[in-house]
Amino acid sequence: MPVADREEPPVLRVEALAKQFDGLRAVDGVSFDVARGEIVGIIGPNGAGKTVLINLISGFYPATSGSVHLAGEDVTSLPLHEIGRRGIARTFQNIRLFRRMTVLENVLIADQRHARRPARAFFAFGRQRTEIARAARYLELMGLAARADRLAGTLPYGEARRLEIARALATEPKLLMLDEPAAGMNEEETAELVQDVRRARAAVDAIVLIEHDMSLIQALSDRVVAMDYGRVMAAGTPAEVLADPNVQRAYLGEEGGP
Amino acid sequence: MTAQILNGLIVGSMYALVAIGFTLVLGVLDRLNFAHTEVFMFGAFAGLVAIDAGGIWWLALPFVFVVGGLFGMAVEFISFRRFEGDARITAALSSLAVGLVLIDLTQKVWGTEPVGMTIPGYVTTAGFELFGMRVVYVQLLILGVTLALMASLHLLVSRTRMGRNIRAVADSPAAASLLGIDVRRVTQDVFFVSSALAGVAGLLLAFRTGFANTDVGLTFGLKAIAIMAIGGMGDLRGAVVGGLLIGVLEALTFQFGVGKLGELVVWVTMILVLFVRPEGLFGGGVHVKDVRA
Repeated sequence: MPVADREEPPVLRVEALAKQFDGLRAVDGVSFDVARGEIVGIIGPNGAGKTVLINLISGFYPATSGSVHLAGEDVTSLPLHEIGRRGIARTFQNIRLFRRMTVLENVLIADQRHARRPARAFFAFGRQRTEIARAARYLELMGLAARADRLAGTLPYGEARRLEIARALATEPKLLMLDEPAAGMNEEETAELVQDVRRARAAVDAIVLIEHDMSLIQALSDRVVAMDYGRVMAAGTPAEVLADPNVQRAYLGEEGGP
Repeated sequence: MTAQILNGLIVGSMYALVAIGFTLVLGVLDRLNFAHTEVFMFGAFAGLVAIDAGGIWWLALPFVFVVGGLFGMAVEFISFRRFEGDARITAALSSLAVGLVLIDLTQKVWGTEPVGMTIPGYVTTAGFELFGMRVVYVQLLILGVTLALMASLHLLVSRTRMGRNIRAVADSPAAASLLGIDVRRVTQDVFFVSSALAGVAGLLLAFRTGFANTDVGLTFGLKAIAIMAIGGMGDLRGAVVGGLLIGVLEALTFQFGVGKLGELVVWVTMILVLFVRPEGLFGGGVHVKDVRA
Protein backbone atom coordinates (compact mmCIF):
# COMPACT_ATOMS: atom_id res chain seq x y z
CA MET A 1 0.00 0.00 0.00
CA PRO A 2 1.45 3.38 -1.01
CA VAL A 3 2.40 5.58 1.89
CA ALA A 4 1.39 9.23 1.70
CA ASP A 5 3.75 11.99 2.69
CA ARG A 6 2.85 13.07 6.21
CA GLU A 7 2.75 16.74 5.24
CA GLU A 8 0.53 16.22 2.22
CA PRO A 9 -3.23 16.42 2.76
CA PRO A 10 -5.11 13.29 1.64
CA VAL A 11 -6.58 13.34 -1.88
CA LEU A 12 -10.02 12.95 -0.32
CA ARG A 13 -11.07 13.54 3.26
CA VAL A 14 -14.68 12.84 4.18
CA GLU A 15 -15.60 14.02 7.68
CA ALA A 16 -18.83 13.18 9.54
CA LEU A 17 -20.75 13.42 6.28
CA ALA A 18 -24.51 13.01 6.66
CA LYS A 19 -27.56 13.20 4.40
CA GLN A 20 -31.10 13.31 5.71
CA PHE A 21 -33.97 12.64 3.33
CA ASP A 22 -37.47 13.04 4.80
CA GLY A 23 -37.43 10.59 7.68
CA LEU A 24 -34.44 8.65 6.38
CA ARG A 25 -30.81 9.19 7.33
CA ALA A 26 -29.30 7.73 4.15
CA VAL A 27 -25.73 8.63 5.13
CA ASP A 28 -25.14 9.00 8.84
CA GLY A 29 -21.80 10.42 9.87
CA VAL A 30 -19.35 8.79 7.46
CA SER A 31 -15.65 9.63 7.77
CA PHE A 32 -12.72 8.24 5.81
CA ASP A 33 -9.56 9.37 3.97
CA VAL A 34 -8.19 8.39 0.60
CA ALA A 35 -4.44 8.81 0.29
CA ARG A 36 -2.47 9.53 -2.86
CA GLY A 37 -2.07 6.45 -5.03
CA GLU A 38 -4.80 4.47 -3.30
CA ILE A 39 -7.79 2.63 -4.65
CA VAL A 40 -10.42 2.53 -1.92
CA GLY A 41 -13.35 0.18 -2.35
CA ILE A 42 -16.72 0.97 -0.80
CA ILE A 43 -18.94 -2.03 -0.25
CA GLY A 44 -22.23 -2.68 1.45
CA PRO A 45 -25.60 -4.28 0.85
CA ASN A 46 -28.22 -2.56 -1.31
CA GLY A 47 -29.54 0.51 0.42
CA ALA A 48 -26.45 0.89 2.62
CA GLY A 49 -25.97 4.43 1.32
CA LYS A 50 -23.04 3.88 -1.08
CA THR A 51 -24.51 5.73 -4.02
CA VAL A 52 -25.85 8.52 -1.81
CA LEU A 53 -22.32 8.87 -0.45
CA ILE A 54 -20.80 9.21 -3.93
CA ASN A 55 -23.54 11.71 -4.84
CA LEU A 56 -22.66 13.76 -1.77
CA ILE A 57 -18.94 13.75 -2.52
CA SER A 58 -19.47 14.73 -6.16
CA GLY A 59 -21.99 17.43 -5.22
CA PHE A 60 -25.18 15.97 -6.71
CA TYR A 61 -26.82 16.19 -3.30
CA PRO A 62 -26.10 18.96 -0.81
CA ALA A 63 -24.85 17.46 2.45
CA THR A 64 -27.01 17.85 5.54
CA SER A 65 -23.85 18.11 7.65
CA GLY A 66 -20.19 17.18 7.54
CA SER A 67 -17.53 18.09 5.00
CA VAL A 68 -15.63 16.91 1.94
CA HIS A 69 -12.07 18.08 1.34
CA LEU A 70 -10.25 17.49 -1.91
CA ALA A 71 -6.47 17.76 -1.54
CA GLY A 72 -6.99 19.95 1.51
CA GLU A 73 -9.56 22.20 -0.13
CA ASP A 74 -13.15 22.32 1.15
CA VAL A 75 -15.46 21.44 -1.74
CA THR A 76 -18.55 20.59 0.31
CA SER A 77 -20.92 23.29 -0.86
CA LEU A 78 -19.49 24.18 -4.26
CA PRO A 79 -21.72 24.06 -7.35
CA LEU A 80 -21.42 20.88 -9.42
CA HIS A 81 -19.36 22.31 -12.26
CA GLU A 82 -16.91 23.84 -9.77
CA ILE A 83 -16.44 20.47 -8.08
CA GLY A 84 -15.74 19.02 -11.51
CA ARG A 85 -13.19 21.72 -12.28
CA ARG A 86 -11.46 21.27 -8.89
CA GLY A 87 -10.75 17.66 -9.76
CA ILE A 88 -13.47 15.16 -8.89
CA ALA A 89 -14.62 12.96 -11.75
CA ARG A 90 -17.03 10.07 -11.65
CA THR A 91 -18.91 7.50 -13.65
CA PHE A 92 -22.54 6.60 -13.13
CA GLN A 93 -24.25 3.34 -12.26
CA ASN A 94 -26.51 3.84 -15.27
CA ILE A 95 -24.02 5.06 -17.86
CA ARG A 96 -24.52 8.72 -18.79
CA LEU A 97 -22.74 9.35 -22.06
CA PHE A 98 -23.56 12.09 -24.53
CA ARG A 99 -25.29 9.58 -26.76
CA ARG A 100 -25.82 11.87 -29.72
CA MET A 101 -22.17 12.91 -29.89
CA THR A 102 -19.24 10.95 -31.25
CA VAL A 103 -16.90 8.99 -29.01
CA LEU A 104 -14.18 11.58 -29.64
CA GLU A 105 -16.49 14.50 -28.85
CA ASN A 106 -17.48 12.86 -25.58
CA VAL A 107 -13.85 13.04 -24.51
CA LEU A 108 -13.25 16.51 -26.01
CA ILE A 109 -16.11 17.85 -23.86
CA ALA A 110 -14.17 16.95 -20.76
CA ASP A 111 -11.50 19.51 -21.65
CA GLN A 112 -12.95 22.56 -19.91
CA ARG A 113 -9.69 24.34 -19.16
CA HIS A 114 -10.84 27.20 -21.36
CA ALA A 115 -13.99 27.59 -19.28
CA ARG A 116 -12.72 30.61 -17.38
CA ARG A 117 -12.15 32.49 -20.61
CA PRO A 118 -15.48 32.61 -22.43
CA ALA A 119 -14.06 34.15 -25.59
CA ARG A 120 -11.89 31.12 -26.12
CA ALA A 121 -14.91 28.88 -25.84
CA PHE A 122 -16.21 30.60 -28.92
CA PHE A 123 -13.16 30.96 -31.09
CA ALA A 124 -11.92 27.45 -30.72
CA PHE A 125 -11.25 26.57 -34.33
CA GLY A 126 -7.51 27.22 -34.15
CA ARG A 127 -6.42 24.94 -31.37
CA GLN A 128 -8.57 21.95 -32.21
CA ARG A 129 -5.63 19.81 -33.30
CA THR A 130 -3.73 19.67 -30.00
CA GLU A 131 -7.02 19.19 -28.22
CA ILE A 132 -7.91 16.22 -30.41
CA ALA A 133 -4.46 14.67 -29.99
CA ARG A 134 -4.91 14.91 -26.25
CA ALA A 135 -8.36 13.37 -26.31
CA ALA A 136 -7.09 10.59 -28.59
CA ARG A 137 -4.57 9.59 -25.91
CA TYR A 138 -7.40 8.87 -23.46
CA LEU A 139 -9.27 6.88 -26.09
CA GLU A 140 -6.08 4.92 -26.71
CA LEU A 141 -5.67 4.28 -22.98
CA MET A 142 -9.14 2.76 -22.81
CA GLY A 143 -8.79 0.86 -26.09
CA LEU A 144 -11.32 2.98 -27.97
CA ALA A 145 -9.08 4.61 -30.59
CA ALA A 146 -10.78 2.72 -33.43
CA ARG A 147 -14.19 3.91 -32.26
CA ALA A 148 -13.45 7.67 -32.29
CA ASP A 149 -15.99 8.63 -34.96
CA ARG A 150 -18.83 6.43 -33.85
CA LEU A 151 -21.80 7.86 -32.04
CA ALA A 152 -21.55 7.11 -28.34
CA GLY A 153 -25.14 5.90 -28.29
CA THR A 154 -24.25 3.01 -30.61
CA LEU A 155 -21.45 1.52 -28.49
CA PRO A 156 -21.90 -1.90 -26.91
CA TYR A 157 -22.15 -1.92 -23.13
CA GLY A 158 -18.54 -2.72 -22.25
CA GLU A 159 -17.17 -0.01 -24.56
CA ALA A 160 -19.68 2.51 -23.28
CA ARG A 161 -18.36 1.85 -19.76
CA ARG A 162 -14.80 2.36 -20.95
CA LEU A 163 -15.73 5.58 -22.74
CA GLU A 164 -17.27 6.90 -19.56
CA ILE A 165 -13.98 6.23 -17.78
CA ALA A 166 -11.97 7.83 -20.61
CA ARG A 167 -14.19 10.92 -20.44
CA ALA A 168 -13.76 11.14 -16.67
CA LEU A 169 -9.97 10.84 -17.02
CA ALA A 170 -9.88 13.57 -19.65
CA THR A 171 -10.91 16.13 -17.01
CA GLU A 172 -7.50 15.34 -15.47
CA PRO A 173 -9.07 14.75 -12.07
CA LYS A 174 -7.35 14.26 -8.77
CA LEU A 175 -10.00 11.77 -7.70
CA LEU A 176 -11.89 9.31 -9.89
CA MET A 177 -15.02 7.69 -8.48
CA LEU A 178 -16.49 4.63 -10.17
CA ASP A 179 -20.08 3.76 -9.24
CA GLU A 180 -20.64 0.00 -9.70
CA PRO A 181 -18.65 -0.23 -12.93
CA ALA A 182 -19.09 -4.01 -13.17
CA ALA A 183 -22.89 -3.87 -12.95
CA GLY A 184 -24.37 -5.91 -15.77
CA MET A 185 -21.00 -7.27 -16.93
CA ASN A 186 -20.14 -10.91 -17.47
CA GLU A 187 -16.99 -12.48 -16.04
CA GLU A 188 -14.88 -11.79 -19.09
CA GLU A 189 -15.92 -8.14 -19.21
CA THR A 190 -15.25 -7.79 -15.49
CA ALA A 191 -11.74 -9.15 -15.98
CA GLU A 192 -11.17 -6.54 -18.70
CA LEU A 193 -12.50 -3.87 -16.37
CA VAL A 194 -9.87 -4.78 -13.78
CA GLN A 195 -7.19 -4.06 -16.39
CA ASP A 196 -8.90 -0.79 -17.39
CA VAL A 197 -9.04 0.46 -13.81
CA ARG A 198 -5.37 -0.41 -13.29
CA ARG A 199 -4.48 1.66 -16.35
CA ALA A 200 -6.72 4.50 -15.18
CA ARG A 201 -4.96 4.47 -11.83
CA ALA A 202 -1.78 5.81 -13.39
CA ALA A 203 -3.66 8.87 -14.69
CA VAL A 204 -5.19 10.04 -11.40
CA ASP A 205 -4.12 10.60 -7.80
CA ALA A 206 -6.65 8.21 -6.30
CA ILE A 207 -9.71 6.12 -7.08
CA VAL A 208 -12.86 5.40 -5.09
CA LEU A 209 -14.62 2.27 -6.28
CA ILE A 210 -18.18 1.44 -5.30
CA GLU A 211 -18.89 -2.15 -6.09
CA HIS A 212 -21.09 -5.11 -5.38
CA ASP A 213 -18.78 -7.60 -7.07
CA MET A 214 -16.39 -8.84 -4.38
CA SER A 215 -13.91 -10.32 -6.85
CA LEU A 216 -13.43 -6.87 -8.35
CA ILE A 217 -13.04 -5.25 -4.93
CA GLN A 218 -10.45 -7.85 -3.92
CA ALA A 219 -8.55 -7.54 -7.18
CA LEU A 220 -8.32 -3.75 -7.11
CA SER A 221 -8.72 -2.19 -3.66
CA ASP A 222 -5.87 -1.24 -1.36
CA ARG A 223 -8.38 -0.55 1.37
CA VAL A 224 -12.07 -1.22 1.81
CA VAL A 225 -14.77 0.74 3.63
CA ALA A 226 -17.85 -1.36 4.41
CA MET A 227 -21.14 0.48 4.93
CA ASP A 228 -24.50 -0.51 6.31
CA TYR A 229 -27.50 1.66 7.26
CA GLY A 230 -25.60 4.76 6.22
CA ARG A 231 -22.70 4.15 8.61
CA VAL A 232 -19.20 2.78 8.29
CA MET A 233 -19.36 -0.77 9.59
CA ALA A 234 -15.71 -1.71 9.05
CA ALA A 235 -12.64 -0.32 7.33
CA GLY A 236 -9.21 -1.78 6.55
CA THR A 237 -7.51 -4.07 4.06
CA PRO A 238 -9.86 -6.17 1.91
CA ALA A 239 -8.99 -9.31 3.91
CA GLU A 240 -9.65 -7.61 7.25
CA VAL A 241 -12.95 -6.13 6.20
CA LEU A 242 -14.25 -9.28 4.58
CA ALA A 243 -13.35 -11.24 7.72
CA ASP A 244 -15.24 -8.79 9.94
CA PRO A 245 -18.20 -10.57 11.58
CA ASN A 246 -20.52 -7.58 11.06
CA VAL A 247 -19.69 -7.51 7.36
CA GLN A 248 -20.26 -11.24 7.09
CA ARG A 249 -23.62 -10.88 8.80
CA ALA A 250 -24.71 -7.98 6.59
CA TYR A 251 -23.83 -9.94 3.49
CA LEU A 252 -25.45 -13.18 4.60
CA GLY A 253 -27.74 -14.20 1.78
CA GLU A 254 -26.71 -11.18 -0.27
CA GLU A 255 -25.91 -11.88 -3.88
CA GLY A 256 -22.20 -11.44 -4.57
CA GLY A 257 -21.34 -11.78 -0.87
CA PRO A 258 -18.00 -13.18 0.33
CA MET B 1 -46.31 29.00 -59.44
CA THR B 2 -42.54 29.44 -59.07
CA ALA B 3 -43.18 32.90 -57.69
CA GLN B 4 -45.49 31.38 -55.09
CA ILE B 5 -42.87 28.79 -54.17
CA LEU B 6 -40.29 31.54 -53.74
CA ASN B 7 -42.74 33.42 -51.54
CA GLY B 8 -43.35 30.27 -49.57
CA LEU B 9 -39.64 29.72 -49.04
CA ILE B 10 -39.24 33.27 -47.81
CA VAL B 11 -42.08 33.04 -45.32
CA GLY B 12 -40.88 29.55 -44.44
CA SER B 13 -37.36 30.75 -43.71
CA MET B 14 -38.80 33.18 -41.16
CA TYR B 15 -40.93 30.42 -39.64
CA ALA B 16 -37.77 28.32 -39.43
CA LEU B 17 -35.85 31.06 -37.64
CA VAL B 18 -38.53 31.28 -34.95
CA ALA B 19 -38.95 27.49 -34.75
CA ILE B 20 -35.19 27.05 -34.28
CA GLY B 21 -35.40 29.10 -31.10
CA PHE B 22 -38.31 27.08 -29.74
CA THR B 23 -36.63 23.82 -30.51
CA LEU B 24 -33.22 24.84 -29.18
CA VAL B 25 -34.64 25.77 -25.76
CA LEU B 26 -36.76 22.63 -25.74
CA GLY B 27 -33.86 20.43 -26.79
CA VAL B 28 -31.57 21.74 -24.08
CA LEU B 29 -33.98 22.42 -21.20
CA ASP B 30 -36.92 20.21 -22.10
CA ARG B 31 -39.11 23.25 -21.57
CA LEU B 32 -41.38 25.33 -23.79
CA ASN B 33 -40.70 29.05 -23.85
CA PHE B 34 -44.01 30.72 -24.67
CA ALA B 35 -42.49 34.19 -24.39
CA HIS B 36 -40.56 33.31 -27.55
CA THR B 37 -43.36 34.35 -29.92
CA GLU B 38 -43.50 37.77 -28.30
CA VAL B 39 -39.75 38.34 -28.47
CA PHE B 40 -40.28 37.64 -32.18
CA MET B 41 -43.10 40.20 -32.22
CA PHE B 42 -41.02 42.75 -30.33
CA GLY B 43 -38.14 42.42 -32.80
CA ALA B 44 -39.99 44.67 -35.23
CA PHE B 45 -40.59 47.36 -32.60
CA ALA B 46 -36.99 47.28 -31.43
CA GLY B 47 -36.15 47.73 -35.13
CA LEU B 48 -38.43 50.77 -35.29
CA VAL B 49 -36.53 52.32 -32.40
CA ALA B 50 -33.21 51.68 -34.09
CA ILE B 51 -34.32 53.06 -37.46
CA ASP B 52 -35.85 56.19 -35.90
CA ALA B 53 -32.75 56.82 -33.82
CA GLY B 54 -29.99 55.87 -36.22
CA GLY B 55 -31.31 56.51 -39.69
CA ILE B 56 -29.32 53.68 -41.26
CA TRP B 57 -32.04 51.08 -41.72
CA TRP B 58 -29.88 47.96 -41.97
CA LEU B 59 -28.14 48.68 -38.66
CA ALA B 60 -31.47 47.69 -37.12
CA LEU B 61 -30.59 44.04 -37.88
CA PRO B 62 -27.59 43.72 -35.54
CA PHE B 63 -29.34 45.96 -33.00
CA VAL B 64 -32.39 43.69 -32.91
CA PHE B 65 -30.15 40.62 -32.71
CA VAL B 66 -28.63 41.94 -29.49
CA VAL B 67 -31.87 43.31 -28.02
CA GLY B 68 -33.69 40.06 -28.79
CA GLY B 69 -30.89 38.07 -27.17
CA LEU B 70 -30.96 40.21 -24.03
CA PHE B 71 -34.74 39.81 -23.83
CA GLY B 72 -34.22 36.07 -24.04
CA MET B 73 -31.77 36.16 -21.14
CA ALA B 74 -34.28 38.16 -19.12
CA VAL B 75 -36.98 35.59 -19.87
CA GLU B 76 -34.62 32.84 -18.74
CA PHE B 77 -34.03 34.69 -15.47
CA ILE B 78 -37.68 35.46 -14.82
CA SER B 79 -39.46 32.34 -16.03
CA PHE B 80 -37.00 29.45 -16.04
CA ARG B 81 -34.15 29.74 -13.59
CA ARG B 82 -36.30 29.41 -10.49
CA PHE B 83 -38.24 26.43 -11.75
CA GLU B 84 -35.88 23.51 -11.65
CA GLY B 85 -36.56 19.81 -11.87
CA ASP B 86 -40.11 18.86 -12.69
CA ALA B 87 -41.65 22.34 -12.66
CA ARG B 88 -41.95 22.36 -16.46
CA ILE B 89 -45.53 23.52 -16.58
CA THR B 90 -44.95 26.29 -14.05
CA ALA B 91 -42.08 27.60 -16.17
CA ALA B 92 -44.14 27.41 -19.35
CA LEU B 93 -47.02 29.32 -17.74
CA SER B 94 -44.69 31.95 -16.36
CA SER B 95 -43.17 32.48 -19.80
CA LEU B 96 -46.67 32.70 -21.32
CA ALA B 97 -47.48 35.48 -18.85
CA VAL B 98 -44.23 37.30 -19.68
CA GLY B 99 -45.15 37.13 -23.38
CA LEU B 100 -48.65 38.53 -22.79
CA VAL B 101 -47.26 41.34 -20.64
CA LEU B 102 -44.80 42.16 -23.42
CA ILE B 103 -47.68 42.45 -25.94
CA ASP B 104 -49.56 44.73 -23.59
CA LEU B 105 -46.59 46.96 -22.85
CA THR B 106 -45.80 47.24 -26.55
CA GLN B 107 -49.41 48.26 -27.24
CA LYS B 108 -49.24 50.85 -24.45
CA VAL B 109 -46.29 52.50 -26.19
CA TRP B 110 -47.11 52.06 -29.89
CA GLY B 111 -50.87 51.46 -29.82
CA THR B 112 -52.81 48.47 -31.14
CA GLU B 113 -52.70 49.48 -34.81
CA PRO B 114 -49.81 48.33 -37.04
CA VAL B 115 -47.01 50.90 -37.14
CA GLY B 116 -45.45 51.71 -40.53
CA MET B 117 -41.78 51.00 -40.94
CA THR B 118 -39.88 53.27 -43.28
CA ILE B 119 -37.11 51.58 -45.15
CA PRO B 120 -35.86 52.71 -48.55
CA GLY B 121 -37.88 51.92 -51.67
CA TYR B 122 -34.83 50.36 -53.36
CA VAL B 123 -35.22 47.54 -50.85
CA THR B 124 -38.98 47.15 -50.57
CA THR B 125 -40.16 47.80 -54.12
CA ALA B 126 -37.19 47.62 -56.52
CA GLY B 127 -36.15 44.28 -57.90
CA PHE B 128 -35.37 42.33 -61.05
CA GLU B 129 -36.72 39.65 -63.36
CA LEU B 130 -35.48 36.08 -62.97
CA PHE B 131 -36.82 33.35 -65.28
CA GLY B 132 -39.89 35.48 -65.85
CA MET B 133 -40.46 35.86 -62.13
CA ARG B 134 -40.25 39.18 -60.32
CA VAL B 135 -37.82 39.16 -57.38
CA VAL B 136 -37.87 42.10 -54.98
CA TYR B 137 -34.66 42.92 -53.15
CA VAL B 138 -36.28 42.58 -49.74
CA GLN B 139 -37.00 38.94 -50.61
CA LEU B 140 -33.31 38.38 -51.31
CA LEU B 141 -32.43 40.18 -48.10
CA ILE B 142 -34.70 37.91 -46.06
CA LEU B 143 -33.40 34.74 -47.68
CA GLY B 144 -29.79 35.91 -47.35
CA VAL B 145 -30.05 36.87 -43.69
CA THR B 146 -31.96 33.76 -42.64
CA LEU B 147 -29.62 31.43 -44.55
CA ALA B 148 -26.56 33.17 -43.08
CA LEU B 149 -27.97 32.89 -39.56
CA MET B 150 -28.88 29.23 -40.00
CA ALA B 151 -25.45 28.40 -41.42
CA SER B 152 -23.78 30.26 -38.53
CA LEU B 153 -25.92 28.44 -36.02
CA HIS B 154 -25.02 25.12 -37.61
CA LEU B 155 -21.32 25.98 -37.36
CA LEU B 156 -21.76 27.17 -33.79
CA VAL B 157 -23.49 23.97 -32.70
CA SER B 158 -21.33 21.52 -34.64
CA ARG B 159 -17.88 23.08 -34.54
CA THR B 160 -17.34 25.34 -31.54
CA ARG B 161 -16.82 24.47 -27.92
CA MET B 162 -19.88 26.47 -27.03
CA GLY B 163 -21.93 24.31 -29.38
CA ARG B 164 -20.38 21.13 -28.05
CA ASN B 165 -21.26 22.22 -24.53
CA ILE B 166 -24.82 22.98 -25.64
CA ARG B 167 -25.18 19.50 -27.11
CA ALA B 168 -23.67 17.94 -23.99
CA VAL B 169 -26.14 19.73 -21.72
CA ALA B 170 -28.98 18.71 -24.03
CA ASP B 171 -27.90 15.07 -23.72
CA SER B 172 -27.12 14.83 -20.02
CA PRO B 173 -27.00 17.95 -17.84
CA ALA B 174 -25.81 15.96 -14.81
CA ALA B 175 -22.82 14.44 -16.59
CA ALA B 176 -22.04 17.74 -18.32
CA SER B 177 -21.93 19.76 -15.12
CA LEU B 178 -19.58 17.35 -13.39
CA LEU B 179 -17.20 17.66 -16.35
CA GLY B 180 -16.94 21.34 -15.48
CA ILE B 181 -19.64 22.75 -17.76
CA ASP B 182 -21.62 25.55 -16.14
CA VAL B 183 -25.14 24.47 -17.08
CA ARG B 184 -26.64 27.83 -16.12
CA ARG B 185 -24.20 29.61 -18.41
CA VAL B 186 -25.00 27.29 -21.30
CA THR B 187 -28.71 27.87 -20.63
CA GLN B 188 -28.19 31.63 -20.90
CA ASP B 189 -26.27 31.17 -24.15
CA VAL B 190 -29.11 29.11 -25.55
CA PHE B 191 -31.72 31.71 -24.58
CA PHE B 192 -29.61 34.50 -26.04
CA VAL B 193 -29.10 32.76 -29.36
CA SER B 194 -32.67 31.53 -29.78
CA SER B 195 -34.22 34.87 -28.87
CA ALA B 196 -31.76 36.82 -31.02
CA LEU B 197 -32.85 34.76 -34.03
CA ALA B 198 -36.52 35.30 -33.18
CA GLY B 199 -35.99 39.06 -32.89
CA VAL B 200 -34.31 39.21 -36.29
CA ALA B 201 -37.11 37.11 -37.80
CA GLY B 202 -39.63 39.61 -36.42
CA LEU B 203 -37.75 42.52 -37.98
CA LEU B 204 -37.46 40.75 -41.34
CA LEU B 205 -41.21 40.13 -41.33
CA ALA B 206 -41.75 43.86 -40.73
CA PHE B 207 -39.37 44.68 -43.60
CA ARG B 208 -41.50 42.49 -45.84
CA THR B 209 -44.94 43.75 -44.76
CA GLY B 210 -43.83 47.33 -44.07
CA PHE B 211 -45.42 47.26 -40.61
CA ALA B 212 -44.60 46.42 -37.03
CA ASN B 213 -47.64 44.66 -35.63
CA THR B 214 -48.36 43.46 -32.08
CA ASP B 215 -50.50 40.59 -33.40
CA VAL B 216 -47.78 38.65 -35.18
CA GLY B 217 -46.60 36.74 -32.12
CA LEU B 218 -49.94 34.97 -31.78
CA THR B 219 -50.65 34.63 -35.50
CA PHE B 220 -47.30 34.07 -37.23
CA GLY B 221 -45.11 33.17 -34.24
CA LEU B 222 -47.35 30.53 -32.72
CA LYS B 223 -47.12 28.47 -35.91
CA ALA B 224 -43.47 27.95 -35.08
CA ILE B 225 -44.53 25.67 -32.22
CA ALA B 226 -46.39 23.48 -34.70
CA ILE B 227 -43.38 23.57 -37.02
CA MET B 228 -41.15 22.43 -34.18
CA ALA B 229 -43.46 19.48 -33.55
CA ILE B 230 -43.60 18.66 -37.27
CA GLY B 231 -39.81 18.69 -37.57
CA GLY B 232 -39.24 16.74 -34.36
CA MET B 233 -39.11 18.28 -30.89
CA GLY B 234 -35.65 19.66 -30.21
CA ASP B 235 -34.32 18.92 -33.70
CA LEU B 236 -32.64 21.83 -35.49
CA ARG B 237 -32.81 20.28 -38.97
CA GLY B 238 -36.46 19.52 -38.34
CA ALA B 239 -37.18 23.17 -37.53
CA VAL B 240 -35.58 24.33 -40.79
CA VAL B 241 -37.19 21.68 -43.00
CA GLY B 242 -40.54 22.05 -41.22
CA GLY B 243 -40.48 25.85 -41.58
CA LEU B 244 -39.74 25.75 -45.30
CA LEU B 245 -42.28 22.97 -45.84
CA ILE B 246 -45.09 24.88 -44.14
CA GLY B 247 -44.14 28.12 -45.90
CA VAL B 248 -44.37 26.46 -49.32
CA LEU B 249 -47.54 24.50 -48.49
CA GLU B 250 -49.24 27.70 -47.35
CA ALA B 251 -48.18 29.53 -50.49
CA LEU B 252 -49.45 26.72 -52.71
CA THR B 253 -52.78 26.59 -50.86
CA PHE B 254 -53.10 30.27 -51.63
CA GLN B 255 -52.10 29.70 -55.27
CA PHE B 256 -54.80 27.12 -55.88
CA GLY B 257 -57.53 29.45 -54.75
CA VAL B 258 -58.12 27.98 -51.35
CA GLY B 259 -56.38 30.85 -49.61
CA LYS B 260 -58.93 30.94 -46.82
CA LEU B 261 -57.68 27.53 -45.73
CA GLY B 262 -54.10 28.80 -45.60
CA GLU B 263 -54.17 29.35 -41.86
CA LEU B 264 -55.24 25.76 -41.34
CA VAL B 265 -52.37 24.23 -43.30
CA VAL B 266 -49.84 24.29 -40.48
CA TRP B 267 -52.16 22.82 -37.86
CA VAL B 268 -53.57 20.13 -40.15
CA THR B 269 -50.05 19.18 -41.23
CA MET B 270 -48.98 18.98 -37.60
CA ILE B 271 -51.90 16.71 -36.72
CA LEU B 272 -51.24 14.44 -39.70
CA VAL B 273 -47.46 14.25 -39.24
CA LEU B 274 -47.76 13.54 -35.52
CA PHE B 275 -50.45 10.93 -36.13
CA VAL B 276 -48.19 9.04 -38.52
CA ARG B 277 -44.85 9.82 -36.86
CA PRO B 278 -45.31 10.91 -33.23
CA GLU B 279 -41.61 11.84 -33.01
CA GLY B 280 -41.89 14.25 -35.97
CA LEU B 281 -40.06 14.15 -39.29
CA PHE B 282 -36.64 13.90 -37.64
CA GLY B 283 -35.69 11.99 -34.54
CA GLY B 284 -35.52 14.93 -32.19
CA GLY B 285 -32.74 16.36 -30.08
CA VAL B 286 -29.91 18.84 -30.47
CA HIS B 287 -27.31 16.95 -32.43
CA VAL B 288 -25.17 16.91 -35.52
CA LYS B 289 -25.23 13.32 -36.66
CA ASP B 290 -28.05 10.84 -36.57
CA VAL B 291 -28.07 8.48 -33.59
CA ARG B 292 -29.16 5.60 -35.75
CA ALA B 293 -26.13 6.06 -38.05
